[in-house]
Amino acid sequence: MFSTSALVVLTTLLTVFTPADAVWPQPQNLQTGTTPLKLSGSFDITISGSIHNAPSDLHQAVQDAKNFIKNDKLERLVVGRGSADSAAVKGAHTLSKLTLSLEKGAAVNSITSEAQKAPDLRDEAYTLTVPADGTGASITANSTLGLYRGLTTFTQLFFYHDGTTYLLNAPIQIEDSPAYPWRGLLLDTSRNFFPVGDLKRTLDAMSWNKMNQFHWHIVDSQSFPLQVPGYTELAAKGAYDSASVYSPKDVADVVSYAGARGIDVMVEVDTPGHTAVISQAHPEHIACAEATPWASFANEPPAGQLRLASPATTQFTSGLLAAVAKMFPSSLFSTGGDEINANCYTQDEETQKALNSTGQTFEQALDTFTQATHKAIRNVGKTPVVWEEMVLDHNVTLGNDTLVLVWISSDNVKAVVEKGFKLVHAASDYFYLDCGGGGWVGANPAGNSWCDPFKTWQHSYSFNPIANLTDDEAKLIMGGQHLLWAEQSGPQNLDPIVWPRAAASAELFWSNPSSGNISTAVDTALPRLHEHSYRMRQRGVNTINLQPEWCALRPGACDLTA
Amino acid sequence: MARSRIWQYFVLSVYAAISIPGILCLWPMPRSLKAGTTSLVLSTSFSIDLQVQDAPEDLQQAITRTQSYLRNDNLGRLVVGRGTSDLGLLQGAKELQSLRVTLSNEAGKARSISSEATAPLGSRSEEYSLVIPSAGSTATLIANSTLGLFRGLTTFEQLWYTAGEATYTLEAPIRIIDSPAFPYRGLMLDTARNFFPVSDIKRTLDAMSWAKINQFHWHVTDSQSFPLEILGFTEVAAKGAYSNSIYSPEDVKDIVSYAGARGIDVVVEIDTPGHTASIHESHPEHIACYDSSPWMTFTNEPMAGQLRFASAATTNFTAGLIEATARMFPSSLFSTGGDEVNLPCYQLDVETQRILNATGQTLQQKLEMFVQTLHGGLKGLGKTPIVWEDLILTHNVTVSNDTIVMVWSSSSAAEGIAAKNLQIVHAPSDYFYLDCGAGEWIGADPDGNSWCDPFKTWQRAYIFDPYENLTESHQHLVLGGEQVLWSEQSGPQNLDSIIWPRAAASAEVFWTGPTLPDGTPRNVQSALPRLYDLRFRMVQRGVDAIPLQPLWCALRPGACDLMDAVKVPSPHDR
Repeated sequence: MFSTSALVVLTTLLTVFTPADAVWPQPQNLQTGTTPLKLSGSFDITISGSIHNAPSDLHQAVQDAKNFIKNDKLERLVVGRGSADSAAVKGAHTLSKLTLSLEKGAAVNSITSEAQKAPDLRDEAYTLTVPADGTGASITANSTLGLYRGLTTFTQLFFYHDGTTYLLNAPIQIEDSPAYPWRGLLLDTSRNFFPVGDLKRTLDAMSWNKMNQFHWHIVDSQSFPLQVPGYTELAAKGAYDSASVYSPKDVADVVSYAGARGIDVMVEVDTPGHTAVISQAHPEHIACAEATPWASFANEPPAGQLRLASPATTQFTSGLLAAVAKMFPSSLFSTGGDEINANCYTQDEETQKALNSTGQTFEQALDTFTQATHKAIRNVGKTPVVWEEMVLDHNVTLGNDTLVLVWISSDNVKAVVEKGFKLVHAASDYFYLDCGGGGWVGANPAGNSWCDPFKTWQHSYSFNPIANLTDDEAKLIMGGQHLLWAEQSGPQNLDPIVWPRAAASAELFWSNPSSGNISTAVDTALPRLHEHSYRMRQRGVNTINLQPEWCALRPGACDLTA
Repeated sequence: MARSRIWQYFVLSVYAAISIPGILCLWPMPRSLKAGTTSLVLSTSFSIDLQVQDAPEDLQQAITRTQSYLRNDNLGRLVVGRGTSDLGLLQGAKELQSLRVTLSNEAGKARSISSEATAPLGSRSEEYSLVIPSAGSTATLIANSTLGLFRGLTTFEQLWYTAGEATYTLEAPIRIIDSPAFPYRGLMLDTARNFFPVSDIKRTLDAMSWAKINQFHWHVTDSQSFPLEILGFTEVAAKGAYSNSIYSPEDVKDIVSYAGARGIDVVVEIDTPGHTASIHESHPEHIACYDSSPWMTFTNEPMAGQLRFASAATTNFTAGLIEATARMFPSSLFSTGGDEVNLPCYQLDVETQRILNATGQTLQQKLEMFVQTLHGGLKGLGKTPIVWEDLILTHNVTVSNDTIVMVWSSSSAAEGIAAKNLQIVHAPSDYFYLDCGAGEWIGADPDGNSWCDPFKTWQRAYIFDPYENLTESHQHLVLGGEQVLWSEQSGPQNLDSIIWPRAAASAEVFWTGPTLPDGTPRNVQSALPRLYDLRFRMVQRGVDAIPLQPLWCALRPGACDLMDAVKVPSPHDR
């Protein structure tokens, strides 16, 4: 009597709480069943013989996937954790094989080279099938990059309990591809330095979220950690110390680590602002270097900007940017262009002299400077990327293929696309990971974060990438990214401040959930995000708790209206 | 050419004079301090000469740790060049060979640091005197107690920088006479919303001891989980803990002894009658409105469930549980909580209403009986009760006049507690809550924000005035204060980074008091460079304290201040 009713309750619970899957980002097209399937002890992933000379990064990706499946040991987030599934899994069929194959006629390139193509040329689509009867699973794609995305999905299908790795929802049929070609993360390594090991861990975590664009804001006014061939004096004098430097070898290491994980590394050398530290090696190129009070000359200390009206400085900058661009295989290069302080140039005698001698206005000089630097990077095959001020605040001539990052406010998106530029969402009101950390400027106890409040994963996730845009304007949206400006960050809080929050934009721009009802989307996403976050933690990334574990084990129980 | 050289010389001497404005490195700042400008190097054969008969083991271990920190901190001075420019000043500097450590009063056997640290609040002696001559002769540390010696050792460790092979100070002779302004300097950690393994707690205790924090307020259980295994009540954790997330009695002993050896008293909190839903898992008979929905009607956060305190059986059970818990902790203090009692929960609880009707008593009367019963039990064990402000201010419960009240809802609530002549520990959310500003954690609420937004920066905590709104006659009621981490959005993953170095701010507020040794008011400007030193030392010692600013600022004291008010020239400026 009693046991029968208990069984009924158990069945009901399973129906309610069994997630369709724990994949993040949610595949575009997903069909699942209700049949449990165990992973065979001899489970293996093979690359189909039709892929001749499979690239080494694909072999490595297969090995990594096998390791994750073996070591994740993620117990499902339900009351009782994995033990809740013991009965269901007992006697299930076993899965012993996954085969990767490319579509007929597809080129066999490395994941790296596919990932480093221009954003709209990347093919990340894949098909994943897991039959319910234990016969082989398969992933097919048009590119090795697509196979890599499929492998990432596959590793997220499994849970673990008491020596058994299993899933509950076979058969599984997934057809997947990203809604947007740019799903990124910006890291600022200048305000505070991050060793290569931290960058690699971040790239790993990005890859588990199918993020494909690492936006490396590598230098700024505070320090110049990049060792640039031909310009080594900049890091020698501008890095925090000799240990806080990225050598060309480090860069190659980071780029190749990223590439093998389906991530393109776009470097940013922000100009003409955010360059005070260049004065350490080249005082002749910097106006108002460390001028005080800093608040009159910069948005944050120290002041100092490239003397853009000077032909010598323009030539120096163009050479520097070209040299940096050659270090990165990406098709993209960001020349920055945010937060130019006009007062700095008004007060700079050299700049005023240069303007007087040419008869140019400041805006004309900025145009000349920007055209020169963009020409320099185009000469080495790069498409320029700029911050929104270059389009909205200044009268600068930009090639119409230039990508524009909107950061000040999502309200500015419309104005940028109205000018016909391709756009990447990076708005502070949705995607800044540093907001809400309080004021960091000294002697200011009442100071608050300029972009308070903290941007929760829910807030980011509720962003609508095409709000107020016409269909034609919407076509200009390339995607978006979370950003970490590092004034108050370092290796000590890198993982907890980025993860799992940055996963929100990864799913937003892969799965496009906001096409439906957003509060429903947030509600159904949370259990998957918990699971994803716990999985990332199993893999060594210190993702923070989004809620008390009590809530994580009871989907919906801690919702506002529960 | 010549002109420029003279100019450089001039700037250099100005720089040298300004950049060493007394001791930059100590946190919290001692009450009384005199320092010189003579360089002094720690001898490679430096030793600590412990002149205490039958020195307790925890004091001997503290000295071993001090020696290890002196060897391994390896902290370069936070200036451009990280102290390499100091090497010239160290040529021919005298060497300090030893530190002699003695008790001022050798009457009787020295007690352990642990037993001194867990003594009642008013009876602890943390005072010490530390003298470091500039001539290289022996330094001396004297105190009335081993606890005082431990505080002095902590100060001694912070005096030294490393450049090249040298461990040195530029500020000998140094003379410090020090004691805390307030007896209670705490940190609260909630281990119920999310669990923290013992090693995380130990690392936190280490970091606390470096800032001379002496009270670990352990909010060990709550509605979400009950991780404490209590003798005689083991079913509560067995059923109420998250899986594999239990503090056994051995774990508690381990934590208490680790804390004690570091001069820290562990005051445990079993929050009652609210914040107890997890007891339902083992004792449904004692919990009203368990898991009722919508949760918002019955509790401030999910899940609902409170002790049915009107019931004699529940009161009895709770008193027993609290006494059993109290026996696990040597502290003279015990917190029975008492915050956020939800009244609709009891109004809708049939059992509670039945009892009230049967006895003819009001809920308020029952609550008072409940609290008095728990507190009576604690007093029987020699413990002083601590409660959250709500019991006094919201529910008007009569408590004994030695009860300590923690203020949390707002700093302005202290006044009402003082008006009742009760002792106060400041833990106000508007200054000291470490979790504020991290956004909404309740699900399906994309526009929600942290209820106590914004983030409380170290600067904000640092300007807290313990006597704000209190009359002079009430000031003696303030025992101190603590920063607080509620862990809905925290876990081992961000424990260090959300606490440190912020929680050091209140440590100095309550150790140093309102003025610096030179008589000037304590202020965020002069504090920041010292706080940086502590932060970098913490990182060197394995605690993930976060950067407060870009490193550029850390190396240039004052340069990133709002008004550049104390901009200090640095070699970099030339």
